[in-house]
Amino acid sequence: MAAIFGPGANLAAKLGLVGAAALTLAGLGWWWGSPRTDYKRNDNWFVDQTVPFSHAHHVGGLGLDCRFCHIQIENAATGSMPPTHVCMTCHSQIWTNAKLLEPVRDSLANNTPLVWNRVTNVPDYVYFNHSIHIAKGVGCSECHGPVDRMDLTYKAKDMEMTFCIDCHVNPGPRLRPADQIYNTEWHRTANTPSPQALMEQYHIPSRDLLNCSVCHR
Amino acid sequence: MSGQWRCIEQLERDPAFLDRAAREFPMLAEALASERAGTPGRRQVLRLFGAALAMGGLAACTSGKPSGVLIPAVRIPPGLVPGQPDHYATAHVHAGYALGTVVTHQMDRPIKVEGNPNHPSSLGATDPFAQAEVLSFYDPAREAQVMNRGQPSDRQHLLTAVADARAHMAADKGAGFRLLTGTVTSPTLAAQIDRLLQTWPAARWHQWEPFSRDNALKGAQIAYGSAIDVVPHLDAADVILGIDSDLIEGVPGWVRFARDLTSRRNPTRTPHMSRIYAIEPAPTLLGSIADHRFVAGPAALHETVMAITAAILHGGSTASAPPWVQPLVDDLKAAHGRAFIHAGPDQPAELHALIHAMNEALGGRGSTYDLIAPVAHRAEAQSDSLAALVADTQAGRVTTLLIIDSNPVFTAPGFAEALQCVPRSVAITGEADETAQACTWSAPMTHAWESWADARGHDGTATILQPQALPLYGGIAPAEAVALFTDPFPSPVLALVQATWKPSFGGDFASAWRSALAAGVVSNTASAKSDAKLRPEAARATPATPPSGMRISFRPDPSLSDGRYASNPWLQELPRPFTKLVWDNPLLIPPALADRLKLRNGDLVELSVNGRRMTMPVWMQPGQAADTLVAWCGNGRRVAGLHAGFDLYPLTGQNATATVNKAHGTYRLASTIHHNLLFPDISDVVKHATLQTFQTRPNFAKEVERPEIYHRHPPGPAQWAMSVDLNSCIGCNACVIACQAENNIPTVGKEQVEMEREMQWLRIDRYYEGTPEQPTTFFQPMLCMHCEKAPCELVCPVGATVHDSEGLNVMVYNRCIGTRFCSNNCPYKVRRFNFYDYGGDQQRPAVSWNPDVTVRGRGVMEKCTYCLQRIAAARITADRENRHVGPQEVRTACQAACPTQAFTFGDQSNPDSDVVKRKQSPLDYELLEDQHTHPRTTYEALVRNPNPKIAETRA
Repeated sequence: MAAIFGPGANLAAKLGLVGAAALTLAGLGWWWGSPRTDYKRNDNWFVDQTVPFSHAHHVGGLGLDCRFCHIQIENAATGSMPPTHVCMTCHSQIWTNAKLLEPVRDSLANNTPLVWNRVTNVPDYVYFNHSIHIAKGVGCSECHGPVDRMDLTYKAKDMEMTFCIDCHVNPGPRLRPADQIYNTEWHRTANTPSPQALMEQYHIPSRDLLNCSVCHR
Repeated sequence: MSGQWRCIEQLERDPAFLDRAAREFPMLAEALASERAGTPGRRQVLRLFGAALAMGGLAACTSGKPSGVLIPAVRIPPGLVPGQPDHYATAHVHAGYALGTVVTHQMDRPIKVEGNPNHPSSLGATDPFAQAEVLSFYDPAREAQVMNRGQPSDRQHLLTAVADARAHMAADKGAGFRLLTGTVTSPTLAAQIDRLLQTWPAARWHQWEPFSRDNALKGAQIAYGSAIDVVPHLDAADVILGIDSDLIEGVPGWVRFARDLTSRRNPTRTPHMSRIYAIEPAPTLLGSIADHRFVAGPAALHETVMAITAAILHGGSTASAPPWVQPLVDDLKAAHGRAFIHAGPDQPAELHALIHAMNEALGGRGSTYDLIAPVAHRAEAQSDSLAALVADTQAGRVTTLLIIDSNPVFTAPGFAEALQCVPRSVAITGEADETAQACTWSAPMTHAWESWADARGHDGTATILQPQALPLYGGIAPAEAVALFTDPFPSPVLALVQATWKPSFGGDFASAWRSALAAGVVSNTASAKSDAKLRPEAARATPATPPSGMRISFRPDPSLSDGRYASNPWLQELPRPFTKLVWDNPLLIPPALADRLKLRNGDLVELSVNGRRMTMPVWMQPGQAADTLVAWCGNGRRVAGLHAGFDLYPLTGQNATATVNKAHGTYRLASTIHHNLLFPDISDVVKHATLQTFQTRPNFAKEVERPEIYHRHPPGPAQWAMSVDLNSCIGCNACVIACQAENNIPTVGKEQVEMEREMQWLRIDRYYEGTPEQPTTFFQPMLCMHCEKAPCELVCPVGATVHDSEGLNVMVYNRCIGTRFCSNNCPYKVRRFNFYDYGGDQQRPAVSWNPDVTVRGRGVMEKCTYCLQRIAAARITADRENRHVGPQEVRTACQAACPTQAFTFGDQSNPDSDVVKRKQSPLDYELLEDQHTHPRTTYEALVRNPNPKIAETRA
């Protein structure tokens, strides 16, 4: 009776073991790495909207201030979407017949709200408050990126917990003077006050920003 | 056994009970067994584990793609800031009387009720019913459809039927028309009713509240010749005697009375502590905080009260009465001008007349109480009124009956049969209740938050109720319903309300109207003091001697009132103050009867009242007179009402003697009284002493000085802490519901409560001391103590419960993996675990939740956060303005709701904060101090002020 294992069996067994190990490693790598890809996190992937609103046109081109549409952002916890009425402030005068804007006109005419697809989302147990970040010198583009260059809006930062924590550990470098908050192209220059000076100016930290209770309730 | 006990099993040291108490999750084994089909072997458990892992893996595979949509308004209301709450004043109207409230809105939807500090009945506090109104408002089961003889119809057809009724009324001047409502204090509704009665002079208006105050009304008629309301000023009373009194639990204005009463109960804050006596057949909240509580069945109570009356009014002797009567009478007389006596609605009219006479004799009028003209419109004896209606109906004299916001088919035995004789009956009700189903027409009534209205408080102060939201289901407002029967095209309700107030608002109507709406009260509308003279008949009134034998006392369910709140799950699952029962209303029996019939809690008995029989379970109530049974009405609704409990209304209506016989079988009752026991052998959880002891040893509650070295000093800018004054707590449960509403706490249902899985973060423990026959009662609110050295934090394997720099013990839901070690290690037993997805299972629309608080998922531990969302809102506002959070800026939900200001919360590092002052009180003590947990929540020990001349077991 011939031997069960031929001369190639050793090699096959070794290859099999190495292959299994490689597969396991690759699987683990995929398991660990895939949620961290831009694709999975939806970073830098624009989101389709009913009305293809372009920040590049309105902010970058026309120079509208963020607060023109995102009203009350200095007092509000949530960065609300503008009511249809705000869109129609201008679009009752210009581009009144544009096909693109038909959903907006319909919304006002029928008193039915526009529905926008979410671009950024944080989990329900995170209570992000826009007003306090603006009051403490965190500019819009720190989290939302170069909105003035976005044709369709996309998520520019991953908004994972580490992203929040990095800044809560050391807010200074991410602060800017109060008059530059809404400047989405702002960059630190030689004339910018030092991070320490800005921290002092904004009275930061007034409390331990790493406490769980700062963001979670 | 001396010391404090919660239930009779504990007092008797029942081995089964002790075994249960020693375990953290005593029902777990049983629960697992019942939840699994068959008995799973090891293999099945492993399979389940495998499935759980696989599902966990799948759950981890969700893409980072943001789901969901954002829906902005077409037009945003002016002044609305997304995420910032708005507040609008209104009132909670209960049995006609208004309790001023302020409703908190998030993005224009009501989510929370607070008291209105401007309103004299509220002073900023509420009762549990007002707190629970937000859930009732969003109840998907509210009536939404006009019905005609059980078939869906519409408003047009109803209006046609009303027009037909009007034609008939024009022919016979309204002789066949009857209107039935509850008590009416609303000036607008009253004006409409008066107009109806003027237009159709032969029409009649009847009033019916199942637990009316007829006896008090008739007593006033004997004493003063006309109906009159008493407005007590309990902050001015040194000696208070309650005779089976509902002074701080049911009488209109009780929220205010509780505040006034407890303002004289803490000897560190009042120079002269008041003294409270209670004589009662069954426990009341007033009796529970009284310095002397005398248990007396109806016969003994009658004898005693007659002896007191004789001594006060006629200088008679008390020789034949119990020995404590003479010192009581002396005390009352010595407090001339500072004494007040109150009797409950169960006591006969003649007794109420005698009490008017005694109060006048004791000189309290003008100081401890005032008399005002009745707040209710055309106050009348309601049981007589309903009897007249039933008689007219049975005689066929009624062709059209309009019932507004009343449920007599459920609450009045015999009414349903009488209703059959009415050819056209119209019910305008908030929910599709028994009456709505029995009437030929029924239509939804607008909720008090959906329409304009007005109502008056206990002292006559009027509130204009403004709508808080557009009607969710459409509906007819009460004033509109009445107006429809005089006028085919009545003015809108707003115009009706404005017409009421136009004459009194004078020249600048618009600004007077706006300020009345903003303040939540119409200024200067409190009733003027009456100058009625006491008639000599008052002192001569002689209440009939109650017959001997077992007496049954029908009372409104403490959590459901007369049944009008039976559809509200928060209130169904609200542990009743003494028994801590939920979702049920067994017959409450005295311990002596239980001994005699060998009954245990939950045993079935056959109850027979005047020949009508009913089989129902019993519950032993310590402190109940041996010849008294207590039956709570309101549960057992046939339609609506969540199908819980027993309907006891069929037994009511007569001054009844009852017999109880043991029946076969038992019934499962859910009570939380034995849940969350602190160490079972601790005997002085509630520290207390007499005023005399306090005066000699003010620090009696502090056993040892703690070594300061172990203290933790978190570095945060504020240090949150709470003080709970046990001298103030009356056990009313307003805080429990306030917490539930504020913190998105789900209800779990009766079966889950039986397994000790109730979710309320704040509970009120009730302890007894002494014998079951005559115990002393203590209430102790229990919530997370926010220990500086928290045992829960040490055992959490994932750091889901940690301390923050402001001294809060925070619970991080997204870290929690559900080991429940923390709950096991918590000596105060204040942690709650989501065994199921309770939050997701709630039958309430998403818009009704508080958006600032996470709705916890399955498998997550939760507990009191000191209303972290309120702290966070305050610190964000303060940080934006670069200042510290103010000393009184954060108020927790329980603190805001508490009628007696038992809770004080604030920053203990700020010397201006109230909590610092409270914690400096010599009465301040830490619960389970020997555990060295250094809790941030401390208690002020209870001091009672017994009469030294009355020898009693009470310590």
